[in-house]
Amino acid sequence: MIFIAIVIGCILGAVIGIYAPMVSYTYSGYLAIAIIAALDSVFGGIASTLKKNFDLKIFVTGFFGNAILSIMLTYLGQKLNVDIYLAAIVVFVGRMFNNLAIIRRYYIEKFTKKPNNNN
Amino acid sequence: MNKKQIAITLGVMCFILTVSIFVQIKTIKNTNSTISQSLKENELRDEVLRWKEKYDVAYEQLTQSGKDLEEIRKQATQNDKTSLAKQNEIIQNNMLLGTYEVQGPGIEITLTDNNTGISKDGMEVIDLSKLIVHYDDLLEVINSLNNAGAEAISINGQRIIQTTAITCEGNVIKVNGQRVSSPFTIKAIGSSGLLYGSVSMIGGYLYWMEYEGVLVDIKQSENVVIEKYNGVINYKYINNEN
Repeated sequence: MIFIAIVIGCILGAVIGIYAPMVSYTYSGYLAIAIIAALDSVFGGIASTLKKNFDLKIFVTGFFGNAILSIMLTYLGQKLNVDIYLAAIVVFVGRMFNNLAIIRRYYIEKFTKKPNNNN
Repeated sequence: MNKKQIAITLGVMCFILTVSIFVQIKTIKNTNSTISQSLKENELRDEVLRWKEKYDVAYEQLTQSGKDLEEIRKQATQNDKTSLAKQNEIIQNNMLLGTYEVQGPGIEITLTDNNTGISKDGMEVIDLSKLIVHYDDLLEVINSLNNAGAEAISINGQRIIQTTAITCEGNVIKVNGQRVSSPFTIKAIGSSGLLYGSVSMIGGYLYWMEYEGVLVDIKQSENVVIEKYNGVINYKYINNEN
């Protein structure tokens, strides 16, 4: 159910994204960091659904809050001439790997347990 | 918290995510920027792209204001005969100066560098320099077009005006200070038969260029559109007072 919704969302997004207008190059850097933040939130959401402690409020605020915060950090970094966005990327990608590990473990356990039950 | 709600939220989030990913991919593709290993180079490239964007926006605004000005002028002179005559004079002068887009019958010449190394009659060319279009070739062509009574000429969108210089700088040709490169499309408005005859005659300049290996294509056309001059015409030293 959840994965069907995700797949449908992705396909619809791809179709609309192909016909969507372009952003100006100046803002594409911010969009990139927002994408990383959002990707992290989605992985986090999937992982917490599997762990059955999914909270809608936390998820939605995390999705937008992380994106906005990372955009603001990138902007601040540009003003201060420090590449703060690198820190954001490190954090987000690190968490993405963590969440991916949780998802992976959940499915490995699920699929290795099944044959045992049958025996 | 039921499962349906979770599924819908996750679906919507994925939707937003993929839309932004695709938009981003399209933007990056459009800018043709290749990521370089050197940080400094990336920064400089960013800067160039940003300025280019600003230039494009400013140029669009300029075009729009030009149109608005035209409209206002038209409205102001609608019911007045003397100002109508003045208006026509302004249009006439701008056309002659090259600051208006013009159209009419004429010809289109395309000169392309020959990369094959073989000339038109199947001979291999020894002097490779003869296979490329040089700046003096362009000068010669424009000269013969002017000689045949061309009223407006452009090379790759660069209008030839009184102050136009065609220069050779290393391996690029500059017209009006802007780089142009092969294939060169030279458009001219005038009597199309006369222009065609003057550039394509046997023993003429283009005849020899083609003979030596450059790819030459001459087309007569009933409707040639020649772009306006993009720069600013600015005179400082000439005056008419005695």
